Amino acid sequence: MQNALWQRGTWWPALAIFLALATITFYLILIASNWIYLGLGDTFYFFTQPRMWQRFWLTVWTSTVSTCFSLIIGIPAGYALSRFSFPCRNVFASVIDLPIVVSPAVIGAFLFGITTRFPFDLISEHYNIYIGRNVYGVLLVQFTVTCAFCARLMKAAFDSIPPKFESVSRSLGASNFRTFFKVVLPMAKNGIMASMIVVWARAAAEWEGLMLFVGASEGKTDIMPFAIYLDWNGGMMGWVVSMTIVCILMAVTAMTAMRLIGGKSHVW
Amino acid sequence: MSGNPPTMAGTRSATGDRTIFKSFFYSFTGFMFLFSAYLFLSNLDQLVVTEAAIKTREITSWGEDREVMNMFAGGFWRDAYFWKSLNLTLMVTVITTLIASLVGIPTAYALSRYRIPGKAAIEVLFSSVMVIPASSVGLCLIVMFNYGPFWNLQQQLGFRFAHSIFPGMILASFVLSFALGLSAWKAAFDGVNPRFEHVARSLGSSRWRAFRTVTLPISKSGLVAGVILAWTRAMAEFGAVLFFCGTFRELPPARFSDLEKVLHIDQADFLSVAIWAQIEYGNVEYGFALAFILVIIGGLSVYAMHRIGAKGYIW
Repeated sequence: MQNALWQRGTWWPALAIFLALATITFYLILIASNWIYLGLGDTFYFFTQPRMWQRFWLTVWTSTVSTCFSLIIGIPAGYALSRFSFPCRNVFASVIDLPIVVSPAVIGAFLFGITTRFPFDLISEHYNIYIGRNVYGVLLVQFTVTCAFCARLMKAAFDSIPPKFESVSRSLGASNFRTFFKVVLPMAKNGIMASMIVVWARAAAEWEGLMLFVGASEGKTDIMPFAIYLDWNGGMMGWVVSMTIVCILMAVTAMTAMRLIGGKSHVW
Repeated sequence: MSGNPPTMAGTRSATGDRTIFKSFFYSFTGFMFLFSAYLFLSNLDQLVVTEAAIKTREITSWGEDREVMNMFAGGFWRDAYFWKSLNLTLMVTVITTLIASLVGIPTAYALSRYRIPGKAAIEVLFSSVMVIPASSVGLCLIVMFNYGPFWNLQQQLGFRFAHSIFPGMILASFVLSFALGLSAWKAAFDGVNPRFEHVARSLGSSRWRAFRTVTLPISKSGLVAGVILAWTRAMAEFGAVLFFCGTFRELPPARFSDLEKVLHIDQADFLSVAIWAQIEYGNVEYGFALAFILVIIGGLSVYAMHRIGAKGYIW
């Protein structure tokens, strides 16, 4: 009987489904272990504390602002990466992708250099803006990490539209910009919105870059992922676990929204 | 003006318009390229030890070998810690990628081909793992193994998952690299028409043989891209490793097993954690040297991915 199983090759789908179920169970336990540890009563207690919501809104507004900046750069850049071909394309694309490939902690270290050198030091001197251990630093870290990510996702969104529509629109006499705004953008609307949500979620999840570049001051720059690290070092296990629950809920909500809009979930 | 035929004027303005259009979009791409390149290049002078750093180091007494530390880039190549860390990182990431692909490719195949109830929820689960903060992932792991369901299992097995190199660090780098690789492998299998496999099976091959001889060769480039992606993500891991394993440099030698000593991975850290630790300790040149090594490794792997021609939506 076993021999027959081997010959028909049925062991392969059985193995595949077993591994799928095992990994799904592992990840579910991974996510649910916080609730198991904390319990319902404590979860409600921490969720009613103002400190939690102060950090939550700080996370929301910083990641929203940095997502806006990323979109302004990322949408046109993604379109260019999707449609135009230029020499040494792979090299350019690799350099653009570097901030998402390299560990974000390293990016935080590298931001030290860029903020104390040529364009930034003049700006901060002239306008008296200090980009570093304050909210501007948080925004810069989030922007750096999500900008390339955003361009990638936008490239995916524009790739899913056949270029035929643009040629038709241009052959009917519309100018290039008109074609972009009236044909390409409306067609890519769903993809752009889905990508926007992913970018927002990624910005809200940024922590490692802040470790070296910004640091946390209570109530000013401690966005939720950072506050987890801070309270972990302070030994406040209840705060840590309840904030982790909030972060997981934010991520799951964002991903569900993305799926409902109709984005592909395999876009990172 | 009236001399020109209208068609000529039309084409000329169209080409001029095209140039403006292209340069508008190129300017954003160029900004991103310059920003990214300047981000890394502007830090090159951090490798050189300045006078101020030497003076500071004379005041602080904790560095025993100050002459080595005052060399270019902190003299990282003369430090055993660096070579051990590099060894450890490469070993851990390769093992992680191997495990992730051995588990992940069948899983991706099952998720892509078979009717599993709640597939949408499963996809949300795996994709949300990628946007959960790394600190949360590390914390989830530590709560799961030290405060939660797996504590008894750990006691019975007789070894610790948390704060250990062998199961701990691999587990910490596995979680995110598996999730990312899975999305790539699933996309690769989604791109293959299941009909080819049906034809192979109707011609008498078994399910395994149909997979091995038909689906696998077609989706090969996507699978390889997924492996590179998983490896890169494992290299870039920082948060989960820091939370779940911590640093090993200051631990006593008795804390490490003989196997770890033979493999030269004792008293060493994951490379990204080592960078963080070195810069925090004030050993800035050393830390940046390691950071540039990480950047070069990451750049090469992402260039390989672009060369393979991984689909746009997974890098």
